[in-house]
Amino acid sequence: MKELFVLVGFAEIVLVIFMQWQYYLKKIIVTFAISSLLIGLLLFVQGGLQNNTSLIVLAALTLLVRFFFIPYYMLSHLEKVYKEKNPKQVVSTGTSIVVSLLLVILAYVIYRLTLYRYISVEAGSIPIAIILQGIFLVISRNNAFVQLIGYMIMENSLFFMAGYMFPDLPFIVEAGILLDLLGLVMISGVVMKLREDSVSEVVDEFDEFRG
Amino acid sequence: MLYLLSVVQLIFVVVFAPLVVGVFSKLCEIFESKQGPSIFQPYYDLYKLFRKQSVVPQVASPMFQIVPYVTFAMYLFLTLVLPIITGFPLSFGPVVDFIGGGLIFGAIAGLKKLAAIDSRNNYSHLGVSRASSIGALSEPILVLIFITFGVITHTNNPYVVNNVLQTSTSWYLSLVHWFVVFAFFMALIVETGKLPIESHTSNEFGMIDQAIEMEYSGRELALMKWGGYIKQFLLMSVFLNDFIFPFFVPMKVSLVAVLLYSLIHLVKLFVLVLIFATIQSTISKYKLFKNFEYVAVAFSFAFLAIVVFYATGGRL
Amino acid sequence: MFVYYLPFIVLVFASLLCVFKSDSLAAFVSVLSSLIVSVLSVIILLKPNVSASYLFIDGFSKIMVVLISFIYLTTVLFSLTYLKHVEKPLLKRNFYFLYLNLFVLSMLFSVVVKNLGLIWVGIEATTITSALLVAIDNDEPAIESAWRYIIIVSVGLVMSLVGVVFVYGACHTLDITKIALLKSANYKLLLLGSVFAITGFATKAGIFPLHTWLPDVHGRAIAPISAIFSSILLPVALFGVYRVLSSVEMSSLHLYAIVLGFLSVVFASIFLVNQKFYKRMFAYSSIENMGMILIGLALLNKYAFLGAVVLLVSHAFAKSSAFYSTGNVLNIYKTREVAKVKGMVERLPFTAYSLVFSGLAVTGAPPFGTFLGELLIAYGVYIKFGLFWVLVLATFLVIAFMSVNYKVARMAFSSSNFDRAEKVRMSAFVPLLNVTVSFVIIFLVGVIEKILMTGMIK
Repeated sequence: MKELFVLVGFAEIVLVIFMQWQYYLKKIIVTFAISSLLIGLLLFVQGGLQNNTSLIVLAALTLLVRFFFIPYYMLSHLEKVYKEKNPKQVVSTGTSIVVSLLLVILAYVIYRLTLYRYISVEAGSIPIAIILQGIFLVISRNNAFVQLIGYMIMENSLFFMAGYMFPDLPFIVEAGILLDLLGLVMISGVVMKLREDSVSEVVDEFDEFRG
Repeated sequence: MLYLLSVVQLIFVVVFAPLVVGVFSKLCEIFESKQGPSIFQPYYDLYKLFRKQSVVPQVASPMFQIVPYVTFAMYLFLTLVLPIITGFPLSFGPVVDFIGGGLIFGAIAGLKKLAAIDSRNNYSHLGVSRASSIGALSEPILVLIFITFGVITHTNNPYVVNNVLQTSTSWYLSLVHWFVVFAFFMALIVETGKLPIESHTSNEFGMIDQAIEMEYSGRELALMKWGGYIKQFLLMSVFLNDFIFPFFVPMKVSLVAVLLYSLIHLVKLFVLVLIFATIQSTISKYKLFKNFEYVAVAFSFAFLAIVVFYATGGRL
Repeated sequence: MFVYYLPFIVLVFASLLCVFKSDSLAAFVSVLSSLIVSVLSVIILLKPNVSASYLFIDGFSKIMVVLISFIYLTTVLFSLTYLKHVEKPLLKRNFYFLYLNLFVLSMLFSVVVKNLGLIWVGIEATTITSALLVAIDNDEPAIESAWRYIIIVSVGLVMSLVGVVFVYGACHTLDITKIALLKSANYKLLLLGSVFAITGFATKAGIFPLHTWLPDVHGRAIAPISAIFSSILLPVALFGVYRVLSSVEMSSLHLYAIVLGFLSVVFASIFLVNQKFYKRMFAYSSIENMGMILIGLALLNKYAFLGAVVLLVSHAFAKSSAFYSTGNVLNIYKTREVAKVKGMVERLPFTAYSLVFSGLAVTGAPPFGTFLGELLIAYGVYIKFGLFWVLVLATFLVIAFMSVNYKVARMAFSSSNFDRAEKVRMSAFVPLLNVTVSFVIIFLVGVIEKILMTGMIK
């Protein structure tokens, strides 16, 4: 189980770095779908191994919402507006890749210095690294889709962490969290669409979201 | 015995290096639905160039003429110290380790650049500046990879690395190893000048290494080219034997085993060349400034390898 | 027991009825439900404390419930007239009330649950239900501010979710009453989790490091929404902070919260000096007040705690009055800039006076409950940290007082060409009512103390 956890964790880290590298929104969204798929499968396997029904339900919900529904919604949205290319970056790509990498190391150092003594889970720095990377993705791109994806990466890593480190978290809490997040994504979808509409009135700023 | 094997290895590399290049260009052409040149074309080219007259720029110093011979000799030296068809150190094996090999590669690159600047050709200068700026970023990747190997095997000796990976399944399957493999693969593409980084066409937009030997002709050009082939052969062999597929390499001194393995090694090389050719014909070239992003990703892989090692609880 | 669930049932019914496409029905139902919920909240005050499997209601919860219900009532009343001024609303009238009811529902939920994870769920639900309300003006800045609100607050709340998970890892329970009694917890992990949880909840309360969404949202949302945000949403988030603080009693954690509160006061006062827009100005004033309340809650001192609650209640009424008044000003003057609003006393006499009084009230001027609250908190600071820090804190409070009231006075009493008063509407009375309540609170301090101590009025 630990190997699987480490494998998925580093795959997530690599996928975020890959997202930082990409210029095209479509690829970023597909990458996000893959990362959700990995998390969902991990939860599923763990639920199966531990005979934990709530984890399996959680995995199914994750797969349904994150892997299927949200990327599908975003992609269909993209085709309509034909806005595949990510327009504006606050930080240049090379720098953001390196910063993303440094965050992984920062997470490791923080984890080793503070948390490790109290949790004593070997690979516990991985979810923290992914959370930091998600925050950085939100900061480094000026695009509503990418910001939302960055936010969802943070949530993914939380599920990842909660699922692996504390699998016995009360189900009512986890379900509440998941429903909340689902609602949040829907609402942000609405606001995102509104933003797009209000901006697209100005022809010059057609493919430019303002941060 | 070891001396004999050294000579065998030297001849093997020097003879088959152009063949690998020939196969590569043939495969690329086949991918584009063309017939392509014969796989022996590089040999013909070298033969032709050796018979041609050399022209040297008037302004160039004697160094310009010396460098091809020196670099070729250095490549020959490198063939004697890397695990190519043997998994045990040959006579010269103990002379250098990975870092030393890297330094010799660096020295060759430096000499070539100096000679290119010496030729006072504008395109050469362009190539030198491009190669230097990418090299400045890709060298640290190689250093990081070697450090990671130091972490795994407690040594920087390429032969030991090969033996450890061949015998220890847990290391071979570890995430650390595969991150290193991926990082080295990306670095390999940079070093051998393959597609997303460099395209070998006659316009100056994409040229990097190609521009460096612009002013050479005749025998000097032949040696430069041959040296380049050997470099590619060596790097690919190292990638195969120390990184991705260290198996079958004979670990005991035996002439028959070594001769048998040299055939297997050719097969391994051709498979790798096939992969390269596939990449070459499916990917388009990056803009020059996007190369740095590519290098940054390769760097992250090399660095992540070390992070993985520590994050999963590894201790020295 | 049943009476505790009744407000929720009423609100759910009201929300369901709002789905029908009838504006007048939605408005009527909302007024009715807010009235019923207010009455119920007062009845709850008379009932004893509860600690059931998922329910935990103590004195502070009850005060929060009453506060939420009353502000809900005034907001609905004010919205009735105010919504006519919104030119191209984002939501239809019935959906506006639907989201408003759900918003209130989620806030009520957050203050009565027992489980730290569920408190998080409730506070996150307030974000979901209120995000669209922020953008009701339907112009680019409003939508932009809604987007910032979602992103920044969500990042903060993810942080607090990490904290909650850590707390669970340390205690293996999220029940706030059990955490407080726990003897053998992993204390360092618990401390770390609580720090994360507090920082995250504080984001939602507009406390210093992640407060940047607050001025944007308050500056751009319509007046009733700004009012409900400032007067009850921020306290509800602070209530989450309080739940963590009260169940995890560690001096370093409390010091951390005090430092956060102090920095909020400092930053807000400094930013207040140079504010050109009156709604943003009141937003910064909210940050300042929340900072004070956080200090009071974290001091672990009887007087400071009472002061914090008094300040919280009194500020809620005063600040809602201030924002209602700014709504009226915006409707007549059509500008958000302080400098362009002149001579309100002649043109909008009622609104002018309610604005002036609420300006005084939110900055803690003497006749209002806020003054007493700040005084008690300052006393608590004096006991814990000595005179020097009280003086530093007082300096920043004075800076805030002067900058807010100078600007409000300039808006109200400067001379202008208008001498004809506008027609007086119902919307002019709601702020006056609220600012009066904010004054009356000072007589209710004894009652508040009793509720906090014993949990009910006997």
